[in-house]
Amino acid sequence: MEVQLIKIEKRNDVSRSIYFLTPVLAIFLTLFGGGIIFFILGFNPIEALKFFFITPISDLYGLSELLIKATPLCLIAIGLSFCFKSNNWNIGAEGQLIFGGVVGGGVALLFYNHDGFYVLPIIILSGAIGGMLFAMIPAILKTYFNTNEILVSLMLVYVAKLLLDYLVVGPWSNPEGFNFPETRQFSESARMPILFDGLRIHAGIFITLIAVFLSWLILYKTYLGFQIKVSGFSLKTAKYAGFKGKTMIIIVFMISGACAGLAGVGEITGPIGQLHRNISPEYGFTAIIVAFLGRLNPVGIIFASLIVALTYLGAETAQIFLQVPKYTGQVFQGMILFFLLGSDYLLFFKIKFLGFKKNEL
Amino acid sequence: MNTKLKVSEISKIYPGCIANDKVSLEFGSGKIYALLGENGAGKSTLVKILSGVVKPDEGKVFLNDESIKLNSPLDAKKNNIGMVFQHFNLFETLSVFENLSIDSDKKNEDLRVLVNDILKKYNFKIDLDVPVLNLSAGQKQKVEIIRCLIRNPKVLIMDEPTSVLTEQETDDLFVSLKQFSKDGILIIYITHKLKEVLSLCDEVAVMRKGKVVSVSNTIDEKIESLANKMVGENLNTIKKKINNFKNSEEILKISNLNFKSDDPYETNLNNLNLSLKKGECLGIAGISGNGQNELFQILSGEIITEDTSIMFRNKEIGKLNPRERREYLMAFSPEDRISQAAVPELKIYENVALNNFKSSNFFEKGLVNEKKIKEHSKKILSNFSVNTDNVELKSQFLSGGNLQKLIIGRELITSPELLVCFNPTWGLDVGAINYIHETLIQINEQGKSSILISTDNDELLKLSDRICVIYKGKLSKIMSADTVTAEKLGILMGGGSID
Repeated sequence: MEVQLIKIEKRNDVSRSIYFLTPVLAIFLTLFGGGIIFFILGFNPIEALKFFFITPISDLYGLSELLIKATPLCLIAIGLSFCFKSNNWNIGAEGQLIFGGVVGGGVALLFYNHDGFYVLPIIILSGAIGGMLFAMIPAILKTYFNTNEILVSLMLVYVAKLLLDYLVVGPWSNPEGFNFPETRQFSESARMPILFDGLRIHAGIFITLIAVFLSWLILYKTYLGFQIKVSGFSLKTAKYAGFKGKTMIIIVFMISGACAGLAGVGEITGPIGQLHRNISPEYGFTAIIVAFLGRLNPVGIIFASLIVALTYLGAETAQIFLQVPKYTGQVFQGMILFFLLGSDYLLFFKIKFLGFKKNEL
Repeated sequence: MNTKLKVSEISKIYPGCIANDKVSLEFGSGKIYALLGENGAGKSTLVKILSGVVKPDEGKVFLNDESIKLNSPLDAKKNNIGMVFQHFNLFETLSVFENLSIDSDKKNEDLRVLVNDILKKYNFKIDLDVPVLNLSAGQKQKVEIIRCLIRNPKVLIMDEPTSVLTEQETDDLFVSLKQFSKDGILIIYITHKLKEVLSLCDEVAVMRKGKVVSVSNTIDEKIESLANKMVGENLNTIKKKINNFKNSEEILKISNLNFKSDDPYETNLNNLNLSLKKGECLGIAGISGNGQNELFQILSGEIITEDTSIMFRNKEIGKLNPRERREYLMAFSPEDRISQAAVPELKIYENVALNNFKSSNFFEKGLVNEKKIKEHSKKILSNFSVNTDNVELKSQFLSGGNLQKLIIGRELITSPELLVCFNPTWGLDVGAINYIHETLIQINEQGKSSILISTDNDELLKLSDRICVIYKGKLSKIMSADTVTAEKLGILMGGGSID
């Protein structure tokens, strides 16, 4: 039997501009792949893609919705970039988001009949702390018991989900709510201020923008950022330089958890206004794609969050106009990640064909 | 069945080094041959050529007077050349039998019969149906050997087979190898351990710097004579003036230090004791893998130990991490330039910032002091004649020599009292080697101390005031460098004893 021999070699120098352009290529490939899928489903691909990516943002309301979706995605991805840059694989941002939401929501319910400027900041802060504490579980288990943070953080997502479920069905359910699995509507003082009349866009976007700026500052201008950068390239070097590895792992998880917790609290005090079972359409998982699509770079993550947010909106419009399930949005998110990883592989490695050879043992 | 294997005029050149220089050797079945040499002498390259992993640039291999082509490991298998590598190539979670059947084209039932015959014949006690991860290192090696025996090898090559074995397992292995030899298998045994050569092999070929320097019967050899051939006597280098440090102040003292590792590929250190005077250079010789890595990490603080076991300038520092030790004016240059001492993807000034501690002021109140780091980097680039003045350059664009100058410069610019370096000139060209040697001599002249862990004996004899040898995690007696010869070092490095 003749077999083709293949060899995979690492490329030595990858240019920086191409490194930041491949995500754009991945997006175009996704559009192309999406077009093919729509074609197979019997739609005109151009029309379908227009419904998916243009129609949703063709008016002010659409743009506001885009920002509403991008706000938590960007915030979580910013937090995750700290973990991923230092080789800590926090996959459980969804759980940290939910737990932050639960803590923030609990505080909001506690202040149910209070008015005052201080209510919202306390809720936001407690949500951040909730997410942070929840993220510290995998961090501490990793540093002191050598567990795998991927598994622990992922499994904790289900813990958080079930906890939320229990609370909204049981102790925290709305006494006047006819046993619907949801809490009371939060009072006005516990809600994010709306920025423009008639649009849902709220002040949470400023939290995200501040987080983007702070993350840039920390990653590029501080000792902590330097440690994160070096650890990401080589743990051996980090050890040799005397960085306190354990402390750093816990800090990056705390930052990442706090961001996810803030995103959760932003959702419940923003568009949702109460706690119920589905406070997040898996933002915590999708943000992983956003973080990588944005190359773990604060500015890149802003753009990536807008594009991925669009897949959420597009899926909703497509559901209405094309009668395809809204899960098409997840198909697109999956394709983005697939094409990004694929083009990255070809970016960092070259494949050599060594010709045919007889296969004998 | 008589087997004759002959390599003729084999040459293999890698960029910057001649791995094999017209190597010619002849082997015949019924004997066990040793291929002896230091690290980098060219043994491994020759063996890789025989097993088809590497293609020679020139030269031919003859099996029973017939020229054979070895373009791939498959060719070696076809020609009945079997090879057991130093690191095992087994699937840990599969059973022994599954591992054996993977690359066999025999039917499973036939294979089982054959394997059972082999087990019986050589008195191997291995359960075929347990996962490989449950086996000891010695048993895993037997699985590798059985894998070769299934193919009825004419030639069996063993690459440093005893490095992971216990004494008892080593003895067992030797019994088996002698039996294979009696059964007509030609055995080539690669090692740097002199005692093993004498107790196991019939003939020994010594390689040095890519060339075969001697072929002889082991009966005619002694540990000393082999050591001599292995390390060579070409010590034409300018030796440093050796000083007497009897009255100098003691700067470092290690007492009764033990290190036990959980990793079977690491070496445990047993009862280390050493002391170092101000201005002195202590050389630590040894064949790599005898505990140098672990010793370096213990000195640098990457591995922490009992507080009291290391005293530096009268302070207990055993529990301090590298950054804290730098505060006390220690500096470290690790062996691995590319993945430990520096990050190639980072810019030069960022790599300089790795040598940071409180008094370096590279980071103030948690913020990066880029201006300070860059100024400092410029100074290093010019003081240590690194071939660029652009501190923004990514370090991956520096040659090995320039990168090493940058690293040594980075470590020395803070005027440390002690520099610990591990193979500082490994893989460098002559110019860079000389520069680094001069630098190391200079710091001793300025009254600073150094510890030089190196596998290059020429370098050690040139730079050290006192020398000791590390072998299997133990330090030999520390000797004054003027009483030490390359021959003595060779004996100690091979596990022999002198006096």
